[in-house]
This record gives sequence, C-alpha cells and structure tokens, in this order.
Amino acid sequence: MNVRNDFPILGKYPSLTYLDSACTSLKPRAVIAAQDEYYEEFGACAGRSAHSLARKTSGKIEECREGIAKFLGAKAGGLAFTKNATEGLNLVANSFDFSKRRQVITTILEHHSVLLPLMRLRDEGKIALEMLRPGGDGMVAIEEWELKIDRNTALVLTNNANNTTGIGHDANAICKIAHESGAAVCIDGAQGVPHRKTDFARSGFDFLCFSGHKMLGPTGIGAIAMGEEWVGKMRPFLLGGGTVKSVSEAKMEMLPSTERFEAGIQNYSGIFGLAAACGYLNKIGMGKVEEHEKKLASLLAGALEGVGAKILGNPRAQNHSALYSFNVAGAKPHDIALLLDRKDIAVRSGFFCAQPGLEALGARQGAVRASCYVYNSEQEVKRLGEALQEIGKLY
Amino acid sequence: MVLCIVAFVVLGVMSVFSAKYRPLAKEAFRCVFRTVTFRPCDTGLDDRIKAEVLSRVMRFSLPAARLANRHFQTLSWVFVLLTLGSLAYSALGIYNFYQYGNCDGPQASGACILNYLTSDYGRFSSPTELIAPNDTANGIVAGDLGSNVTVVEFGCFTCPYTKQDEPAVQALIADGSVKYIFKPFPLPGHPYSRDAANAVLCADRQGKSWELRKLVFDHQEACAKGGVLPIKILAENAGLNMTQFDKCFDGNLTSSELDHYIAQGKASHIYATPTFFINGKPFVGVKSIEELREAVRRAKAGR
Repeated sequence: MNVRNDFPILGKYPSLTYLDSACTSLKPRAVIAAQDEYYEEFGACAGRSAHSLARKTSGKIEECREGIAKFLGAKAGGLAFTKNATEGLNLVANSFDFSKRRQVITTILEHHSVLLPLMRLRDEGKIALEMLRPGGDGMVAIEEWELKIDRNTALVLTNNANNTTGIGHDANAICKIAHESGAAVCIDGAQGVPHRKTDFARSGFDFLCFSGHKMLGPTGIGAIAMGEEWVGKMRPFLLGGGTVKSVSEAKMEMLPSTERFEAGIQNYSGIFGLAAACGYLNKIGMGKVEEHEKKLASLLAGALEGVGAKILGNPRAQNHSALYSFNVAGAKPHDIALLLDRKDIAVRSGFFCAQPGLEALGARQGAVRASCYVYNSEQEVKRLGEALQEIGKLY
Repeated sequence: MVLCIVAFVVLGVMSVFSAKYRPLAKEAFRCVFRTVTFRPCDTGLDDRIKAEVLSRVMRFSLPAARLANRHFQTLSWVFVLLTLGSLAYSALGIYNFYQYGNCDGPQASGACILNYLTSDYGRFSSPTELIAPNDTANGIVAGDLGSNVTVVEFGCFTCPYTKQDEPAVQALIADGSVKYIFKPFPLPGHPYSRDAANAVLCADRQGKSWELRKLVFDHQEACAKGGVLPIKILAENAGLNMTQFDKCFDGNLTSSELDHYIAQGKASHIYATPTFFINGKPFVGVKSIEELREAVRRAKAGR
C-alpha cells in the first residue's frame, strides 16, 4: 500500500517514522481540502437559517452524515456528531436510563473516557459498576462476560480494539450475551473503527462511539452511532440551540432526531473532513487496510519479540491490530520514547489514558506504544526493531 | 534530577538573551525547586536532557552511551559540581575585576588592568593606543645613563604583576646596557598604592629608593592590607633617616612629583601595570628577562 504521497506532513518530514496513530493519525490532503472547502465554499450554519448558503450547508452536512453512516453500516437517522469518542461515551453514560436496571459491566482495560464517567456515576450511587479483569493474555475471557452479565445488567461498555494491548474483544459475542439478558451494548470504537470494516447494523451494537482524528479525519470531530430506537429514549445531557422542536416558558419539546444530541453550532469543517476521511478509507478499501495492518502487526510483534521487549497482552492474539504496548527491561518507557524520537521514530509512552488497565497488566510505570496505520511501511517497522535493538544495549 | 540545576543555570543565562529559552528555563526552575524539596521532577525536562545526551553519545560510541546511561546520576552530579565550581570561579573573577582590575586576581600572571569603572584615568585597553612618554629623564633612574636604549617602566608598588616582573627588571638593570627609569603609576583600585609610591619617592630623596622598593615588593601584601604602618616599618628597615622620611611622607612632599608621573602615565594612555617603553616601543604586562633582553637587542639594532 503506497499512500504516503497523500500525506503532506510525511513530505515535510521525510525521515519521520510515525508510529503513534493510536494517539492521532496523520491527515491526507483530501481531508485537509475538505475542511478548507467548508470555509471557502459554504461558511454558513446548518439547520437554522433560511438563506441559500445555509441551505447549501445543511444539505452538505446531511450528505456527510449519510456518508459517514454508510461507512459504519449504520443508518443516518441514528448518527449524532460529537467532539470525539470521549463525548460519545460521556453521552451514553449520562443519558442512559438506569432507573430500571443499575448494573454496568465494563473491563478495567478500558480507556479513561469509558471508566471515568462510569466511576463518577458509581460514586454518586447511580449505577453498580463491575470492572472485569483480564487474564494473562490481556483479554477478558468470554466465560467471564457470560458469568457477570445478567438480568440486572443495564449496559455493557467495552471496545472492539483495545488502545493498550491492540487486542479486540469479540464484541459480537459480547453483544449476543448482553442482548440475551436484555442489556444494551456500547462499543468504544476509537481504535476499532479506523482499522477494520465496521458493520454496525449486523454487529448488533446499540451504541458505537468513535473519533475522527484517529481515522485520518480532523481533530474535534467524532460521532456516535445508535440504533434508531435509542434516539428518543436517551436523555440529552447537553442542551442548547438546535436540540429542541419548540420551547415555551413552561416546557420544551426536544427534537426526535439525533440532532437533539448536537447542541450549539457544530464543527462543520470537521464534519466535512470526517466525511472525506471515510471517503478516503472507502477508496482504499477497509479490507485492504485490515490486510496491510495484519502484515505490519505480525512484523511488529516479531520485531519486539526479537529485541526481548515485554509485550503487554498476547502478541499473537488472532484479532490483534498493528498496535503493541511494551517495555524494555531496565528502562523507563519515557526514556525509550525519547531515545526513539532522537532517531525520528514517533511512539507514545506513559499510560495512554488507561492507567488502571496498564497497572492490571503489570505495567506500573506505564509502557511504550507503537501503532501503525495505512501510511506505515514494513521498512518502518524494521527500523523500529533496529532502533530498539541499539537502544536496548544501553540497559 | 540534579541535572536540572545545570540546565537552570545554562538556560537562565541563555534566556536573558533569547526569549525562546525562557519556557525551558521555567521548566528547569520548577525541576530544581522540586529536586531541592526532595520531590521528583515532573516536567520531563530531566528525561529529555538524558535522552538528548545519550542519543548524541550513541552516535559516536555505543559502549560509551551504555556507560553514561548506567552512571547517569553520578555524571549529573559531576556536571552539577563543575557548574557550581564555574559559578564560584566566575564570581571570584568579577570580584577580582572590581578589586584588582583583572579577573585573575593578585596571584595570576599578566597585568594589573586599570579599572576605569572606579577611576578617571581614561578608557584605553590596547597597546596600539599607548603613546611613548616625552620625558625620559625624570623618575627613579638606574643603569647606564649614557646608553642609547632607554627603558621606561610605569609600575604600581602594590600591583602583583609589577612585583612579579621585578626580578626580570633587576636582571636587565644588572646587564648594565640600558638606562632604566621607573615612573610610579599607582592604580586607584589597589589599596595604599599611592602611599607606597610616595614612600619610595621619599626614600629616593635619601638615595635609598631601591632598598625600600625591594622591601615594599617583598612585603607587598602587608603594605596593601596594613597601609601606612607597615610601610613606615619597612622604611625603617631600609635604613632610612626616619625623621626626614616622616617629614617627607607625612608632609606629602612628593605628592606633586607623583601627580606629575601619573599625569605622564595618563598622557601615555597607560591602562595596565607594568607597562614598559623600550626606546618608545610599548610592552604591557609581565615580561620575562628573555623577552626584555630581546626587546633591548632589537632596540639597539634600531628595529
């Protein structure tokens, strides 16, 4: 896959090996152009004013919504724009009705964006929270899910690709278990949606949250896809312009559509950019993206094993994405990341906003994370291996 | 990490001249503050410095980088101590410059630079600015008065460099081939330099300037610290008639003569002692006997 020329930043830094796409991806020219297009060709607000430029903007935004929903295999009527996956996950946690069932099941491996809203609800006595712990392979066994999900469970929150281990739980199987108990399922798709084909309708997810910036799109834009039946049941936690049908002094009537979750003027240029990112990925083909990353994942695992790095989770797990967190014996994660940086290799170090998960996996000082995407090459993975080999000799 | 102390000093100085270093200096300050309050540095600056150092060393030698990594804390302490030592040395230099007119202090080789910050002697600093004195007759004279080579020295009796060059001067005079004229040029920054000069001029009136001059140089530190009392004791030890000496010294009888020499020095743009003019050619600072003899040889040859 040779798409490097599509990314202006790689032209500007030709020696850069960017292996931090799990934090944020680089942006192709098409996405940057789409953002500019909003400011140069549209410029107005959507869904409000009646003038022609506003109508043109409204039409384009709905076109983007449809394009993005199609990319996810979801219906446009169930897609709400958010700032990012974090806002989507907060929306679910704060808008879901826990009055009949209070139990929420998640795993300790989740991102802070999943854990923190739930922990606060737990501390406020609004939910009973169960955090499942992983085994030695960095995964929560399916039997554990079966054991914990029951008729008291209101909601199950997990990911379909973990931002620390790179391993995705079998979200479809978890969905099946949850639905059999009448629980809803919310998937943190921040690391899954960018890297593998998503079919929201067939997967059975009730909610799917993701960020645009991790899938070649702009920062500050994301979306939540939900089953259309959920739209009216969820109580928006952010209110304001564009969310209501009518308001009087005595009462307000919320919009029935997902716009009820989109308070205030939206990030239109971001929406244009996200739609362009989906279009770009569609053009490559998500199958090819997945195939390319599988190759890189295998190489990456080999390179890390070759230098004796301690990889978090099972590096050979079947649905491992091209994302690995690891430690080098005797070295602090930040030291490794900084030394790699001096060799023009960009990786992440620390806790990746998943501190409880890293601690549960035994990485009390954090870890180093290398994550690939469409623009990475096999040579770059080899380069990382060689650099780690050299750096490892310091310790 | 203690290395932040070094970073703070270096970046602090650099940030005075360039705003781009100020955020880093602030980071370093926070790191230093946390380090001295026994808390770990939380800015990441220490890690970045370490990575930068190691990556640079790695380019040249992996074993050296490994050694540096394993003993980084020790190396950091070495750098901290070196920095603190440099700071202390710089502070001493500033003190010396103010006190003695040069950064090296009284014991170093070189010259006593006239401190124009504390005097009105003019702002000259280069041998090319020096002008040979017209008066090559007056002063404390020695050597072959008929020689065609005249050596004029402007010196300060409490200047360590004038003292340091005294053996070479004495050796040159002993060669017997030059006419030597000493013109006292007491530097204002040197304590009791004027008193010492007046004392030697008073001794010269008794024909014993060389005896007192030797004793003053031999006990220069005592003169510079103790002032008039040790100077008078030295005058007595030099065998001077103390009644005459006291009358001369206490009565400031040589003051106008000394002022005349100072005025000549100013006119010649003297900025350091000792300064020699060998047939008009200037030489600033301590010169070895070989250098002086070579200069005399060249002067005799008309070069």
